[in-house]
Amino acid sequence: MANNALLDRTFVACSHPIRRGILERLAGGEMTVGEATGDFGVSKPAISKHLKLLEEAGAITRVIDGRTHRLRLREQPLDEAYAWMTNQRELWERKLDTVDQYLREQRKHQQPQQGAPQQENNPAKESK
Amino acid sequence: MTEITKPNETSLRLQRTYDAPAEDVFDAWTNPEVLRRWWKANPAWITPVAEVDLRVGGRYRISMEDPESGKKYTAEGEYSEVSRPTRLVYSWQWEQEDGELGHPSTVAVDFRSEGELTTVVLEHTGFESLESRDSHGHGWEGVLEAFQTHLNERAAQTS
Repeated sequence: MANNALLDRTFVACSHPIRRGILERLAGGEMTVGEATGDFGVSKPAISKHLKLLEEAGAITRVIDGRTHRLRLREQPLDEAYAWMTNQRELWERKLDTVDQYLREQRKHQQPQQGAPQQENNPAKESK
Repeated sequence: MTEITKPNETSLRLQRTYDAPAEDVFDAWTNPEVLRRWWKANPAWITPVAEVDLRVGGRYRISMEDPESGKKYTAEGEYSEVSRPTRLVYSWQWEQEDGELGHPSTVAVDFRSEGELTTVVLEHTGFESLESRDSHGHGWEGVLEAFQTHLNERAAQTS
């Protein structure tokens, strides 16, 4: 449950172009807040909101060194979100394959010998 | 061959073309026998549940189980659009280990007839719960992938 909520937050964190931009910059290594968030052309409060969402998702951590705040990417939540997406995609790939295989079997059953014309019956109703 | 529409920014999108009429592809998609075959991580697994109530407001539920560990993976959802043979929309939720349902996402499947062929376009959207409306630009799936590439490169450098 907790894990699922964290995944949701990670997806939220990645759902805005500015937050994706920040993550992309931080993928290159630790940065100051200024370096990571400069030049996006939005207000400071907006940036703060984005940083808060990223921190809540656990996607970044803030390291305070005197007056300098540095941001660092945390890899685990992004890794988990990536794994989730990959699994889900594989599931759908397999469904597409299964449908393909099934349709081929149906076709064989309906065209037992030589090139019969197009099959009309609904093959999905009974399979065995 | 098929035109590719711009994918939603927070989606998985897959496409496959079958040599069969749309009615057959649509029926196969929702056939419990097909669900049972699909819904196992490997041939040794069992699929104790594959229920489909194919109508708007009807639900489906599929469960797969590893007989060795007894671990179960269950997904379920509700049909919100059933337009045979062109379109099917349903919610998707993973069942959690504590029996609660996870965050609902949405699966939309279009069946497009092109002569003898049928192209299935599947879009799975809505993984994030709050903010899809203010997101624009390209997908975060791409970001995650770029990020993963970066990690792999770094792992290669340090090893």
